[in-house]
Parts: sequence; C-alpha cells; structure tokens
Amino acid sequence: MQLNRVVITGLGAVTPFGDGYEALRAGLVEKRSAIVSMRAHWQHFINLRSMVAGPAPDPNEKEVPRQDRRSMSRMSFYGHNAARQALTDAFGNVRAALAGFPAGRLGCIVGSTTGSPIALNETFEIMLPDRDLGKLNGVKFFQCVSHTAAMNVAQCLGLTGTVLATNAACASGLQAVGAAYDLIRLGSQDAVLCGGAEELHASVTGSFDALFAASCRYNDTPSETPRPFDRDRDGIVCGEGAGILLLEDREHALARGARIYAEVIGYHTCASGEHISQSNRPALIHCLRQALASAGAAPEEIDYVNAHAAGTPQGDTEEAAAIREIFGDRVPVSSLKGNIGHTLGASGPIELIATLLMMRDQVIHPTLNLRNPAPDCDGIRHVTTPLSQPLATIVKNSFAFGGINAALVCRNAGPT
Amino acid sequence: MDKQQLAARITGIFETEFEIAPEKLTPDVNLFQDLGLDSLDMVELMFVLQKEFTIQVRDSEEARAIRTLNDVCDFVLAEIAKNAACSDSPPPAVASPQ
Repeated sequence: MQLNRVVITGLGAVTPFGDGYEALRAGLVEKRSAIVSMRAHWQHFINLRSMVAGPAPDPNEKEVPRQDRRSMSRMSFYGHNAARQALTDAFGNVRAALAGFPAGRLGCIVGSTTGSPIALNETFEIMLPDRDLGKLNGVKFFQCVSHTAAMNVAQCLGLTGTVLATNAACASGLQAVGAAYDLIRLGSQDAVLCGGAEELHASVTGSFDALFAASCRYNDTPSETPRPFDRDRDGIVCGEGAGILLLEDREHALARGARIYAEVIGYHTCASGEHISQSNRPALIHCLRQALASAGAAPEEIDYVNAHAAGTPQGDTEEAAAIREIFGDRVPVSSLKGNIGHTLGASGPIELIATLLMMRDQVIHPTLNLRNPAPDCDGIRHVTTPLSQPLATIVKNSFAFGGINAALVCRNAGPT
Repeated sequence: MDKQQLAARITGIFETEFEIAPEKLTPDVNLFQDLGLDSLDMVELMFVLQKEFTIQVRDSEEARAIRTLNDVCDFVLAEIAKNAACSDSPPPAVASPQ
C-alpha cells in the first residue's frame, strides 16, 4: 500500500512567552526564563511545596462567541487560539483554510493530561460541601471531560473531520501529532490540526509534588529552575499553553503552493510495561530506534535531538542514557523546559514548533539553566550556548507517566 | 413580587448570562429565533432561575413550552406559586403499614 507523505504547513502557539510562535522564538533567542513565583496565587494551598510555574497570558475569552465559549476552559481557549494561528499561518486566514478542505477531510487531534483542572476543582468545590449535585450547572461537565480541548477547538471551527483526544499526560501532544501523521498517511484525512493544550492549577503542580517530582528548592529564584540535565536539578516546573500544528497531505500542500516547514518522516509510540511513574531507558531506546526505523533514517543522519528532559532526577538520567546509546556524543541535544517549564501535554508540540523554527533559522537553542551537566547525564552533546548550523533532520522526544514514550522524526522539505 | 419586578430580574439574567443587549429583551421576543438561544442555554436558564428564585424546575414539563421572555416570566410566577402552595399545605400523611 502506498502511503501518503505528510508535511507541516501551519504553526500556532500560546506559551509562557506569550501569544504566537514568534514570541516563543524570541524568548528562546534571548535565553529568557518565563518561570515566576506563584506564592501570591497558591499560598492558601496547604502542603504545596513547589511555588513556581510558567503561566501563559490570560486568554481573551470575549473573542470567542458566547455559545462556543460557555463550554471552554482555559486550555480550550489556548488550543482554539493556537489552532486559529496555525490555520492563518498556513492559508493567510481561517476562512480560507476551512474552505481549503472538503467536508470531513480536516481533522482535529488535541491532547491534554486531563480535562480542565480548574473546572474539575471548581466542580468538587461546588459539590462536595453538601454533596449536592443540584448545585452543578449544565456546562461545567464540558470543561471537565478528557477531550474538552479537542472537542471545543473542533466545534469552534466547525470541523467535521476526525476528532480525537490523546490523553497520555506529558506525551499527549506528541501522540496527537503522531496520530495525525498516521491518519493522513493512510488517506483518512487530508489535513489535521494537532497538538496539545494545558492549563495551570496548584493541583497539577501538587500532583507532581506528591511524587517528589516537582521543583521545590528554587521558590525564591524561579528563573533558576527547572534545570534539565543539570547536577542541581530538583524536578519539574509546570507551565501552560498550547501548541497546534497543521499537518497536511504533501500532494495537497504542493498543489496549493503551501509553505512547508518540514516533512514528518517517522513516528513511534510505545510503553515500557515496567513502571507507572519511572521512565525506563530500554523503552526510550526502543521508541527512538523504532521512530528512526520508520523514518528510514540512521542515527548518523540526525542533526539535533530536542529532548523531553523536564529536570527530574530520574527522567533526565534515563533519557540521557537512551540518547547516548543511540547517538553517542555526536548529535546536539537540548531541552527547552529551562525556558518555559513543562507544559505537560502541550510540551511535545510546543517544543516541536520551536524545533521547526530552529530548522528554519539554522540555530539550535541551548538548555537554559544547564550549568553543570550531571555525571549521570554525561556522554551526550549538551548544547549550552546557541549553536549555528544547518538542521536537515531532527528528532523530537517525549515521555510520560505510564511508561509511555513518543518520538517523531522530521526532515527539511527540500526540493519539491 | 409583581410581574413587572420579576420581569426586570429576568431581563437582568438574560443580560448577564446570555450577554443580550437590553433593548432586544422585549416581552414577546422569541428566545430561539430572535435571540439565538439553544437547548443548552435553556438548561443554563433553568439552573439560574432555580438559584435566583429558589424554585425547583428540574422536572417541570411546562419549561418545554417556553418560547418568549413573557413565557419565562409566567413560568417563574407559576413555579413560585406552586412552591408556595406546597409549603402552605400540611405535610403529606405517612402511609401506615398494612
């Protein structure tokens, strides 16, 4: 069976650096940190030790028509904004983009860790004091469901293609891109808006804190954390936002003269089957090798690995070991979480977008806060200062609770 | 509370909850055809009316007949009267086991 080739033609992002992918790029170029103290917002939570996060700008909710808005939480606003950006980026405006595909041929896959944590908390706060379900309104549920971002984005845009929500915590967004790639390859969709969306809440950071996986030592110096691959790393810092890409059938894109950021040439996702919370180097290695195999690319052909590296002691060690096993110390590696924190289900697509911009600009952005590479993260080529070089083929890596891994391989579109 | 006072409060609800300009909120305006409300808005309306007027309308069949703003007022007045009648009447007798 001849599979379709798939290209990326539109990008949209809302990140702790602001609205739009150029704001993301500017923050990375200027080596800024978007991590701030959350004490003013979170001090009333008892036993929450991590008081840092990467908040994104508040969404302009009134931009969305009321009947679309009523079922949306913060993550859906971010996803909707990023999706509109991606369509505008690809077609000049949203209307032209939506007219560019027959009914049912433009899909939408948006992942997130859970439904809206803000709405979930509000639900329990309303219901629990008296256990009175009559106090819940009719629309709160639509913000709580696991596919809230995907369904709201699709509804707002009037999409009639395939709508899916990939919910695999920190791998959700990259799985969404991978699923979109598969749908287009198989000819089921002409194009898919895909990515991830997340929103901050103390309960989210608290979930990582309960596992001793959230950064707690830098509450007074937020810009010093997270510290991917660093000797002094102490855990993740939650961020929020959305990253949405338009993946498109290559023939369709070429026929309309689209600008192509890159071609998706390989993808794999798999589980470790070993442990619910601990990442595992054999599974990471397997996932990366399978992604490379599906791309038909040897490790020597890879010019850059954008690592997941969230700054957790255990996860960074395992990922560094996996990268070392496959790529040795030749391929440049960096993580962007030192800049924007861990946007969880949105991290894969946001960081993929940043990587596509690195391919465009021919520069690799370094890992912020990586001052002293940890001995257990040694033996790979850490990028600690901006590195100017052509990038033809890249790997984006993600992994998540549940032992779930995802890896995507992209190549410069090159001559058509 | 007379109907005029009630209508003012309901108009306020429509302005706040559904962001409808006050000049559109005439007694005979059709909630669906003229104001664009849908079934989910009606669910929200019932929720807000319950809270605002301390009435129970969850099982009300009459709610399905609402079309205009005037219908909403009449519906709420009827429900308030129904609730008052219920609270005035003696508690239902407990059936004794045979």
